[in-house]
Amino acid sequence: MRGRAALSVEHVTKRFGSADTGITAVEDMSFHVAPGEFVSVIGPSGCGKSTLFHIIGGLTGDYQGRVTVEDEIITGPHPAIGMVFQEESTFPWRSVIDNVAFPLELRGMPRAERLEHARHYVALVGLTGFERRHPAELSGGMRQRVSIARTLAAQPKILLMDEPFASLDEQTRLLLGTKVLQIQQQLHQTTLLITHSLTEAVQLSDRIVVMTFRPGRLRRIVPVHLPRPRTDEVLTSPEFGATVAELWSDLREEANRGLADAEQAG
Amino acid sequence: MKVLAPAFGIATLIAAGGALQAAIATDVISRYVMPPPSQVIAALGRIVTEEHVPVRFLLTSGEMAAAGLLILAVGVPVGWWLHHSATLRRAFEPWVAAWAAAPLVLAYPLFLVLFGRSSLTIIVLGSVAGIAPVILKTVEGLAATRQVLIDVGRSLLLTRGQLFRKVQFPAALPSIFTGLRLGLTFSLINIVGVEFLINLGGLGQLINELAERYDLAGTYAAICFVVLASMLFFAVMEHVEQWLQRSR
Amino acid sequence: MAATLTLSRGPARDVLRARLVGAVAILAAWQALASSGLLFRDVVPSLWHIAAALIATLVDRAFYTNLGVTGFEFAVAILLGGVVGTIVGLLLGSSRFLAAAYERWVHYLAPTPKIIFFPVLLLLFGADSGSKIAMGALSCGFPVAISVAAGGREVRPVLIRVGHSFRANAWQMATKIYLPAVREPLLNGLRLGFGVAAIGVLLAETKLSKAGIGFLVMDAYRRFDMPGMYALLILVILLVAAVNTAMIRLGRH
Repeated sequence: MRGRAALSVEHVTKRFGSADTGITAVEDMSFHVAPGEFVSVIGPSGCGKSTLFHIIGGLTGDYQGRVTVEDEIITGPHPAIGMVFQEESTFPWRSVIDNVAFPLELRGMPRAERLEHARHYVALVGLTGFERRHPAELSGGMRQRVSIARTLAAQPKILLMDEPFASLDEQTRLLLGTKVLQIQQQLHQTTLLITHSLTEAVQLSDRIVVMTFRPGRLRRIVPVHLPRPRTDEVLTSPEFGATVAELWSDLREEANRGLADAEQAG
Repeated sequence: MKVLAPAFGIATLIAAGGALQAAIATDVISRYVMPPPSQVIAALGRIVTEEHVPVRFLLTSGEMAAAGLLILAVGVPVGWWLHHSATLRRAFEPWVAAWAAAPLVLAYPLFLVLFGRSSLTIIVLGSVAGIAPVILKTVEGLAATRQVLIDVGRSLLLTRGQLFRKVQFPAALPSIFTGLRLGLTFSLINIVGVEFLINLGGLGQLINELAERYDLAGTYAAICFVVLASMLFFAVMEHVEQWLQRSR
Repeated sequence: MAATLTLSRGPARDVLRARLVGAVAILAAWQALASSGLLFRDVVPSLWHIAAALIATLVDRAFYTNLGVTGFEFAVAILLGGVVGTIVGLLLGSSRFLAAAYERWVHYLAPTPKIIFFPVLLLLFGADSGSKIAMGALSCGFPVAISVAAGGREVRPVLIRVGHSFRANAWQMATKIYLPAVREPLLNGLRLGFGVAAIGVLLAETKLSKAGIGFLVMDAYRRFDMPGMYALLILVILLVAAVNTAMIRLGRH
């Protein structure tokens, strides 16, 4: 149903440690993601983005506020949410195809069926021919593609990604970003991307949620008015640069606060 | 969490003991297979007094000490001799390593024949089990002496003997002590084991004797006692070694 | 060029020479001791007698029957010790709470001589193969448990989170994530376990049994068949050493 949010984050606040000596990672974050939308969450380092990621994914509990997925409140990892982690997360002892088929295996899908299913997603991320290889034989970018394919194979309603391209070089990032966008458009996949890269956020998103430095609060939500598909033309257009600049003016202030805080502590 | 978890662990173990007690009391478990824990605890006191546990402890410790002296007296010189020449070291260090890995304790009946039914057999078996780590660690320690220290000694015109006594040996001491700790560990395991097997000696023999007398509670108590004693031994060794490392 | 060739050949030859000299010296000393008459009769038999006994043992059917018994006990002990050790290790390695509660006891018990538990095992499992298998399993369990526990703690946390994010249940987490992840530490622990299990089974056999290699050794001892006992001991120690070496080689591969 259009208009109804697929993912709803409402007044989420998370503290670590005791009342007086702890830190507040996230404070009163609220935003929605509509079905089929691509939303990025951006903020300076240490602003609580990863905490937010783990909360929405149901891996971190003990917080105030609530997160709902299709009107169900999250109390743990939810089948409608698929997570892609920042770190290298492929199972080194499984081949590519067995990695991708993992969520289907957990569900008890018979072997032939799940391999067939998995092959489709391996192809989707452009790794056809590499099914039998092991992660050690692949580059970092390819391994991240395996992780993404694995998460997509579970057909989650919402794709949740935490800086999935952080450990990759610039060129691979751009190419993978385009790939992810392609897939997202093809599948109408509702996606929430955590990132610290401005250009990546503008390249991929419909809307951008800007967080403040710790405690992470909602600073602003920036709509991205660039046309789809996001071709190279679009990416080199002046509108693209203007949106990035607009974001940067917001983010710079927060980043400076982060720097000052680090200098004070160090 | 830091205190809670270990406390939880101990509590569950005690609870398990209680459950065991109940199971034996109600004959779910036969008391001829396992005595009630209460009896075992009572037996602990009994064996200390009636079975001369302190004397036995001294006896086993004496065997350990003798083995320790032996492995040092033989092991360190052999280690030094091996370190002497690269050829000798390359030729025989693997043999010593193989010796360390070999289950020589299996030959205890042979040692019984060779050395008779006496403490000597036990001490020899303990030494045989513990000597290899001392040799290996002595070689390692001597080899690891920083060249600059040797150069200092040579520049001061020390003789070979003086160089060894005043530079190399002190530098190798921590390693030698590690070897001694490892060696004593193997020695202890073998000494107590052989005492049990040949029914001679101190603590190990106590377990065997009580078992042969069908004193079930006593046997279990003696086993507990030996376990406690070895736990204590290893804890002490660890602390001494840490202390030595820190004072380097 | 020629100089480097001789340099690299020389030391290797020296090593070989040293070993040959060493081996010959040991054997010669042995033979001298044997023929000297210093020790009682057969306590140190001549090398010929030992060689003859070795051959006699290797052609004796009874040797192989008993070897089979010991082998069977050993195999079951490894299986049992390996499985239980792995389960305990996985529990300790995957839960910091369980590890804090119980792991110290495993570490305290690990270096105690397991043979002292034999009377208890006799009561629980009888005087036949049962108690020997239990002895071997008990010995084997500890290195496996300790190794797997350490390995379990080393599993990259992100892999655990992947499992949770896909809502894997405890059994799936254990079999599809933890177990494959600790394969190497498990094998390392098993290698150590092999050695101590063999010793445990054999020592238990020497203490009380009606069959097995340990029984044969004690039988030779009681009959004062010294050459026979030497032969058996040489064979057993070589066998265990061979198994150990094979395990080390397997580990490197």
